[in-house]
Amino acid sequence: MTKKKDEKTSGNGWEPRIVAFLCNWCSYAGADLAGVSRIQYPPNVRVIRVPCSGRINPLFVVKALQTGADGVLVSGCHPGDCHYISGNLYARRKFALLKSLLEYVGIEPERVQFSWVSAAEGVRFAEILGKVIEAVRAVGPASKMVKELEEVT
Amino acid sequence: MSQVEETLKKEVTKLFEEETIDLFVGHEAAGVPLKTSACFLSSADEAKRLVWNASCATNLAAYLPQLFKRPGGAKGEWTAPKVGVVAKGCDSRSIVGLIKEKQIPRDRLFVIGVGCEGMIDRHKVAGALGTVGLAKAKIDGGSLQVIGTDGTQKSVELAEVLADSCRECQHRTAVLFDVDLSETSVQVPETSRYADVAEFESKSPDERWEFLVSELSRCIRCYACREACPNCYCQECFADETAPKWLGVTTDLSDVFAFHLGRALHQAGRCVDCGACVAACPQGIDLRLLNQKINKDVEELFGVQSSLSLEEAEALLCFRMEDDQSFMTEP
Amino acid sequence: MLEVTLDKSRLQELLKLLGTDRRLVAPVVDRLGTVFSEITDPSLVCLEAVNTNLSPKEAVFPQWETLYTFEGDQVDKAELQIEETVLFGVRPCDARAFELLDRVFTWDGVNDPYYLKRRERTLVVALACNAPGEACFCTSVGGSPASEFGADVLGFDLEDCLLLRALTDRGETLLNSASSLTTAATEEEKKAAQNAAAKAEKLLTPVAVPEDLAALKESFDAEMWKELGLKCLGCGVCAYACPTCHCFDITDETRKGVGRRVRSWDTCAFSLFTLHGSGHNPRTTQDARYRQRVLHKFLYCRENFGEAFCVGCGRCVASCPAGLDLRAVLERLASTAKVT
Repeated sequence: MTKKKDEKTSGNGWEPRIVAFLCNWCSYAGADLAGVSRIQYPPNVRVIRVPCSGRINPLFVVKALQTGADGVLVSGCHPGDCHYISGNLYARRKFALLKSLLEYVGIEPERVQFSWVSAAEGVRFAEILGKVIEAVRAVGPASKMVKELEEVT
Repeated sequence: MSQVEETLKKEVTKLFEEETIDLFVGHEAAGVPLKTSACFLSSADEAKRLVWNASCATNLAAYLPQLFKRPGGAKGEWTAPKVGVVAKGCDSRSIVGLIKEKQIPRDRLFVIGVGCEGMIDRHKVAGALGTVGLAKAKIDGGSLQVIGTDGTQKSVELAEVLADSCRECQHRTAVLFDVDLSETSVQVPETSRYADVAEFESKSPDERWEFLVSELSRCIRCYACREACPNCYCQECFADETAPKWLGVTTDLSDVFAFHLGRALHQAGRCVDCGACVAACPQGIDLRLLNQKINKDVEELFGVQSSLSLEEAEALLCFRMEDDQSFMTEP
Repeated sequence: MLEVTLDKSRLQELLKLLGTDRRLVAPVVDRLGTVFSEITDPSLVCLEAVNTNLSPKEAVFPQWETLYTFEGDQVDKAELQIEETVLFGVRPCDARAFELLDRVFTWDGVNDPYYLKRRERTLVVALACNAPGEACFCTSVGGSPASEFGADVLGFDLEDCLLLRALTDRGETLLNSASSLTTAATEEEKKAAQNAAAKAEKLLTPVAVPEDLAALKESFDAEMWKELGLKCLGCGVCAYACPTCHCFDITDETRKGVGRRVRSWDTCAFSLFTLHGSGHNPRTTQDARYRQRVLHKFLYCRENFGEAFCVGCGRCVASCPAGLDLRAVLERLASTAKVT
């Protein structure tokens, strides 16, 4: 348990850990395309596939931050292209509010990011993900919302 | 007794006598100064229990959904009672929201709208008295006369002890009513709304975080904020779910933040800034810092205020193709 | 037992002494009045409020605590480390509540090691009240502004000095350690303390508290609970502010096989309090839950422990967001043999 804590200091070989929620029909397919196209992108991401960006409960993002994710990326279909017609359009409103609120409470805006990536956009996915990873690297390991389980009262 | 209180009692008496209602939800005096308690009247001669004053801060809409639920074990035919309620501006907005969310049947509800110039925040009165307890209080024009438990007398400007949500309120008469008792002269202030939020936004991120840490570390997870809120009517709150377990039950700061962030987000497009959560909090936490931020964003981004009309869709239940997406990441 | 007097000008010195090699927890100013807080600077102590917003039960029964940690199937039951603590400025109602909590946490020979370790490591210096607070009714439930239960030392505020009376051997040891600051209490001072206590008692408004257990049992089916249940919001303010409420929940918090088992405050007012794993809930409506709160304190605890679990501090009345008043409920229960 102590080992994890030591890892979490930047400059100590710390690598950002990003959780990416990708919608099945567009962004996940886009990420897959990046893979089969052998486009190089950093390995710092854990992907969670969801049916639609509209499935994203803001608590997913909060939970990810609590469990120690340094950053979260949520990606869906471009507006107008949602497999379920409008899931991403409802999601867009939720995301705007979530991002604004998290930044308002003092969490670095780099840590929670949203994007639209289509199934054909392997390159775009890699670029966006790379951008997110570097932005999180610059702000260092997350600490504010992290729930520590090691302490004993 | 104020004129409005007298008229209210007469109106309620009439409603019972004409059998317009089976039950009336109003305010009655509580056992300590500057506090009222919701009362549930079932006959005309109980109307005398009603009060109307600057301590009627409770958002009575919170009590309505349960009255329309079929009681457990009830057999056979059951029709919902006809319920009357007295509503200030904020209460009536909550009622609008609950009707839209199908928690209250409009046709079984009779709303008596009243005008409101603001409710007293007991926390602020406690602050003014310092370490002395409150023994008596009386409104005298624009000031509040208080007597402490040690006999000391103090006069405070009423404006100083009004609830923050009342100071910024733009809806001082009911937006939905069957009868309107509001007097035409209810003032709408010129203060800019969201001033409290804007001031907080002007601090640096670390200052904001530190402030919220010190504020939310006061939280004891009593859920008074949730229970007092008319919008929190879920049978199982996310905070209590065990499968999945979203957050722990302790006052671990990460979980406290998760709870308050989660609740604020669940209020998006629904919160009417009635201040019930702030008034209910036994620790005097300024929850409006979170809820009003979301209200501000909803208005700025989507151009709506919560629950002003039955016809308007809730902000998160609709969308426009042109919704702002400038916050999104591009390569 | 030992009775000494401390000139008020030396209070800071006494607090500094008490806090040497110990944690000092005492009331400090808070936006809503005062609150018990751990302090290193004795000048922050404020004894002017009749009572704090929340009770001091957190000192022996914290809002949450880790019972043990585990990794896989390895359980780490480390010895609970509790620093010796002086809890200063506790009102006699709250001190008496400690005595009641002692009974719960040693009930039927089952000793709660977490509570008992804290209790054993905490010295309680109580301060008698000279006047009642907002909603006090201690004398109506078997207490008094100068009650001697649950504390190690009882202090009396006599304008320019404090009379300190040892109530236990630990208390006497504590007072002896401060002998350089105190003088033996004079007969005059002892009389003044007695008078202050008597005066404070007279200032209290008595509340009729139901004593007839059979009548209380019958009140189970009374109509009065219905409206009370409608008013009650089902939050945890009353139970959490209350010095005698002691219900708790036990939950596990884990991540990838590593975790901790914690206990945290719970309340019978919550709708999920009695929800069974099967999905059945014996108390589905708030009237049943509110009734439970009142009858537990005034009937079931009397049956189990011989005393009502209420010390009359009035916090539930002052803090209830729904405006419920326990005193009014008690008066109603006490007023008729057969309650409606």
